[in-house]
Formats: sequence, C-alpha cells, structure tokens
Amino acid sequence: MEGKVRIGFYALTSCYGCQLQLAMMDEILQLLPKAEIVCWFMLERDSYEDEPVDIAFIEGSVSTEEEVELVKRIRENAKIVVAVGSCAVHGGVQSWEKDKSLEELWKTVYGDGKVKFEPKMAEPVENYIKVDHRIYGCPPEKKDFLYALGTFLVGSWPEDIDYPVCVECRLKGHPCILIEKGEPCLGPITRAGCDARCPGFGVACIGCRGAIGYDVAWFDSLARTFKEKGISKEDILQRMKMFNAHNPKLEEMVEKIFQGVEE
Amino acid sequence: MKNLYLPITVDHIARVEGKGGVEIIVGDDGVKEVRLNIIEGPRFFEAITIGKKLDEALAVYPRICSFCSAAHKLTAVEAAEKAIGFEPREEIQALREVLYIGDMIESHALHLYLLVLPDYLGYSNPLKMVNEYKKEIGIALDLKNLGSWMMDELGARAIHQENVVLGGFGKLPDKATLETMKKRLSEALPKAEYTFELFAKLEQYEEVEGPIIHMAVKPRGDVYGIYGDAISVSDGFEFPSEDYKMHMVERVVEHSFAKHSFYNGEKPFMTGAISRVVNHADKLYGRAKELYESHRDLLRPTNPFANNLAQALELVYFTERAIDLIDEALAKWPIAPREGVEVKDGFGVSTTEAPRGILVYALEVKDGRVSYADIITPTAFNLAMMEVHVRMMAEKHYNDDPERLKYLAEMVVRAYDPCISCSVHVARL
Ligand code: SF4
Ligand code: SF4
Ligand code: SF4
Repeated sequence: MEGKVRIGFYALTSCYGCQLQLAMMDEILQLLPKAEIVCWFMLERDSYEDEPVDIAFIEGSVSTEEEVELVKRIRENAKIVVAVGSCAVHGGVQSWEKDKSLEELWKTVYGDGKVKFEPKMAEPVENYIKVDHRIYGCPPEKKDFLYALGTFLVGSWPEDIDYPVCVECRLKGHPCILIEKGEPCLGPITRAGCDARCPGFGVACIGCRGAIGYDVAWFDSLARTFKEKGISKEDILQRMKMFNAHNPKLEEMVEKIFQGVEE
Repeated sequence: MKNLYLPITVDHIARVEGKGGVEIIVGDDGVKEVRLNIIEGPRFFEAITIGKKLDEALAVYPRICSFCSAAHKLTAVEAAEKAIGFEPREEIQALREVLYIGDMIESHALHLYLLVLPDYLGYSNPLKMVNEYKKEIGIALDLKNLGSWMMDELGARAIHQENVVLGGFGKLPDKATLETMKKRLSEALPKAEYTFELFAKLEQYEEVEGPIIHMAVKPRGDVYGIYGDAISVSDGFEFPSEDYKMHMVERVVEHSFAKHSFYNGEKPFMTGAISRVVNHADKLYGRAKELYESHRDLLRPTNPFANNLAQALELVYFTERAIDLIDEALAKWPIAPREGVEVKDGFGVSTTEAPRGILVYALEVKDGRVSYADIITPTAFNLAMMEVHVRMMAEKHYNDDPERLKYLAEMVVRAYDPCISCSVHVARL
C-alpha cells in the first residue's frame, strides 16, 4: 500500500477487549508512522465513523438495529474489512442463549422496563456484510494483530490456521486434561493460535477462538468422547455453543451421536 | 435549532458495555436536560448464564468488561464460592488480590495517561504525545505492562483470565517469578509517585464542586484494599453487602441500556477511587499514607475530578500492597494451587472494589448450575451521579462555544474513569 494506510477501528456491542488488546501493544507505536487512524473512539477524540479507510477492523457483535446500519456503512467505506474477535466473527458469548427469545432475555434482566433504542439478538458481522479476513479469539493474541497488520502493510494477505488447539498442546507437552483428568476440553475442535494457553495452566479449553471450519471441526467425534465420559447431550451442546452458537453444523453433528440414545 | 455530534470516551457500562453518549439540551432559559445515553446493545449476561454450569458461567462473566475482566472474574468466583460454602486459604486469597491489583495498576495507568492526560495537554489522542512526552508515555507503558504481566502470570492472560478457578488457581507461578514480581513492583514505585506528582498539578474544575455521597466496600482486615463484606457510605451509614438491593436501588431509565442506581431509592451517589479514599483513607499505610496527608486538600470529597488524583494515589498504594501480599503467600511456600470443591446449593453475594468502584455479584447455585444471577457494575452505580455533574458543568457553560461545553462534559465523564467510546449530542432548542 502506498502512503499512509488509513485505519479504522469500530466497536459494536462488545467488552472492548479486542481493541484494548491492540491498544496495549507497545508495537503499535512503531506502526504509527505508517498508519493514519481515522476512527478509533477508544483512543482518538477526533474519530470519524463515515470516512473512507483502507482497513476497517470491526469488534463486537451486531446487537442493535443501529449497528446493522453501521456495519453496512463501514463496508461501503472500507477496502478491507476485518472481523476482530469472537464477538465479530462468531457472535460472541452474548450469543450463548441464541435459542431463547429476545423477549425472554429482556424480561430476565430489565423486567417491564423499556428503553428508546432497538435491541436485537447478537449476530456475527458476517450475517450482514462481506468480511475479508477474520482475527479469532476472545481476545485475540497480540501476534494475531501483528501478523494481520504486517501482511496487509506489505500488500499481502494473512492465512487462517486450520488445525486444532490440541496440535499446539501436544507440541508444548502439556498433560492432556481431557484424557488424564476427564474434563471437557474443547481443544480438539477449536482453532489453534493461542499456543494452548489454557491447558498450559491446567485449565480446560473453553473454545474461545471458535471452532475450526466445520469440515474440519469434528463436533461429532468430540461429542462421542464427552458422551463416553458421562456428559449429557444438553451439557455438551451448551459447552460447545459458548463460542459457536451460530454454527449451523454443530447441533446436527452432536445430535447424530445421541440418536437412539435415551437420556 | 443547532445539532452537534461529538465523540467522547466513556466507561464500561454495567451489563452492556461500550457506546454511550451525553446529550445536553439547552433552551432559552438554560439547560433543560442532560442525559447520558447508553446506546450499546444489551448483552444479557445474567439471563444467558442462568441454567448454565457454574464453571462455564464463571468463564463468561469476565467478558462483561475487558478493562476490569480480572475484577469480574474474581468477584464472580468469590460470590460462587460463598454460594457453595467454600473459603479459599489465606495464601490463595492473597495471590488473588495480587492478580486483582494487576488489573488495578493496568487500568489506572491506562486511564490516567491514555484517557485523561491528553485532554489536559491538548491532544486528541495519546499516541500523538509520544514525541513530546516521552517520559510520561514511557511510565504509562511500564506501569501498564507491569499490570498486564501480573495478570498473565497469575491469570493466564491480561484479558479474560481463565487461570482463576473454583477452589484456587489452575496453576501458580513458581517462587522465582513471584520474587521477580516483587522486584518489578518496587522498581515501579517511583513511577507511581511521579504519576501522583503529575496529577496533583492538574486542574480540578470548581464548576462541579459540591456535596457528593460516596460509597465504598469496607475493606476486610482493616487494611485499605479490594475485598470486603460491607458497604460504607460517607454519611456514616454502613450495611452488610447482602443488603445491597435495599440501599442501592436500581431503576430502568428509558435513554439507556444500563440501569441507574440511587442510594436509599432517591439519591445519586459516587463510587470509585476517590470514594475509597474518602471513606477509608485511615486504612492506608506506607508512602501512600504520607502522600494522602500532604495532599488532603486536593483529595477532597466534593469534586469528581479528585478521582483522577485518587487513582494516582492508589497506584502508589497498591504497588506497595502487592509486595506485602506476595510476601504473605511466600511465607507459606510451597502452596497448593487449588483445593477440591464440592459444588453445593446456596446463595452468595460478593462486593469488591473494581478499578472504577463497587462491583456486586449475587449468585445462586442449584444442582451445580447458576439459578439466579445479579451483577451491578461501578459505572451503572455512577451513571446517575455522572449526569448530575455533567449538568452542573453544562449550567455554567451552556452559553460558551458548544465545542468547549462538549469538551468539558467529556472531561467530567472521563474523570469517573470512562473507557468506552461515546458521543455527545448537544441540541439547542
Ligand atoms: S471477542 Fe471477547 S475480548 Fe473481543 S470484544 Fe468480544 S468479548 Fe471482548
Ligand atoms: S488438553 Fe485439551 S487441547 Fe490439550 S491435547 Fe488434551 S484435549 Fe487437546
Ligand atoms: S486454550 Fe482455548 S480457551 Fe484458552 S485461549 Fe486457547 S482457544 Fe481460548
């Protein structure tokens, strides 16, 4: 890319963690001479949402009617759109109860209270606009940003990882939490790139980077393993849905394992 | 009629997070209305975790807010452990507080240097200060890095710490790492003090001077700190944490996805670093105690801008405090990272001091699942009071250049330690 790269960072409904992760990287100071920040409300008071940019990073899930309009405008104004983090890519943890109605969720939290904005169920950005690249994680690793930014800046394109957390976990030599402790680790279906961070601390993976592409994510075989460990279908589904609620294949594949099984 | 639209930066809002705005409506005879609009979509954290397994719900709660994810994790875990009748050993509790302090240090450093200071120095963006304020940016990065490294070591990462689990930690750092942590903390102390000196020089706007009701968690063990089981009010009243619903009453307001809270049902109140200092300065010790004594006039209970300096004071205090807590844990070395827990039915309330103020988690557990959840975050508590202070500022400045009014309104909101993007909408009727 020639001249300064115009960058926008836009937030939908989120915890602000993905942009905090980016803001916390000392390395971005080195990128500054190459980039112009057009929009980034978290750091820049003079931010403009509707200006043309080379790269638009979008964090958060689409959760209000206003945000539907916003993502469409961002797409029109941007050459490259990058969905950042589990919220933008997969709908985020706020999609966990996707199967309940908005009314029901609203009532639990707000009772009969009303506000003047239009809420909606959380959805991934891709449900509304074309996304050119995804940065996975909740939050993404710092190196994910560096890799993506670096490749864009040299005019190239970052590649997706298509192997599971287990690969990194085995390479690191951590004890397997699933096999040795019998805990429901989601490493086998989850996209690698975190260096098996949680198993390294003796904690089962909750799948925060989202499932690897569904042709590669073996929800069914992991469900079988979980089932053998005595975990119910409902619990398997709930665990897998934490970061994958919008995955169209998940339910069907888990269902397969429980066909004909009485619970 | 004149409409203006301006971005300002605001805090993480309870249950909602993210985008909020300030709306100031001015009529011919002055300020008609001031509203803090919280326009970001709801995320329904309580609703989505009901019926879920306890450990999975605990993994999700920190995702409410990244700037305070350790605060959310630790408060949620404490509420859960109270509910199931488990009490962590002292040394584990000490290390959890060190992790919490990591969050406090990082959050205060980011807020003071990256969100507040640019206003005072005339920059729209902290990154633009790099060349002229090398020393300040250097200190900001050092303190921020120290805080996030503490969270990496004790929490598995700086945002959304999976290493905190029921019964303790997944894994603990080794002794050498804790020794290094102590060393890095003592090296940070002069930088924290420099921050205090720097912020002691900044203006506190007298437009917003007036009585404020302050609420803070009454620290356990009578040492200024984060954990406690009662709430103290600056009017002298004190109540057990379990009674939070009686004295911190929430209402849905129509211009915001975040609810507003009122003390005893009617009075807005403030919570945060200045409220902690106002209510519990007698429990400070060390260098922070001395700084407090010599700067009492600046750390006054009547001005929300004092919150900035109070945060700087806390940078000094918590840096020293973390060293003592690590010593407490090391004295019992080697320690087991976690104990087995039995997930019994029960109900637990935890109130802690997040960087921005009181954080409440009330959880009920039945058959290993969350059966009730109520979470109230500091910004939600503060919203009503913030509106009062923005109004005071607006009443003095509504005839000024709207740009200046917006700027001042933003600064008021920012003094409460806002950290989300936000917009100001000023309408002149
Ligand atoms: S993906 Fe995770 S870290 Fe990023 S904004 Fe969403 S909840 Fe926060
Ligand atoms: S601990 Fe989890 S990530 Fe590691 S190998 Fe076992 S299943 Fe895979
Ligand atoms: S191990 Fe799993 S939960 Fe942990 S960071 Fe990696 S993908 Fe996320």
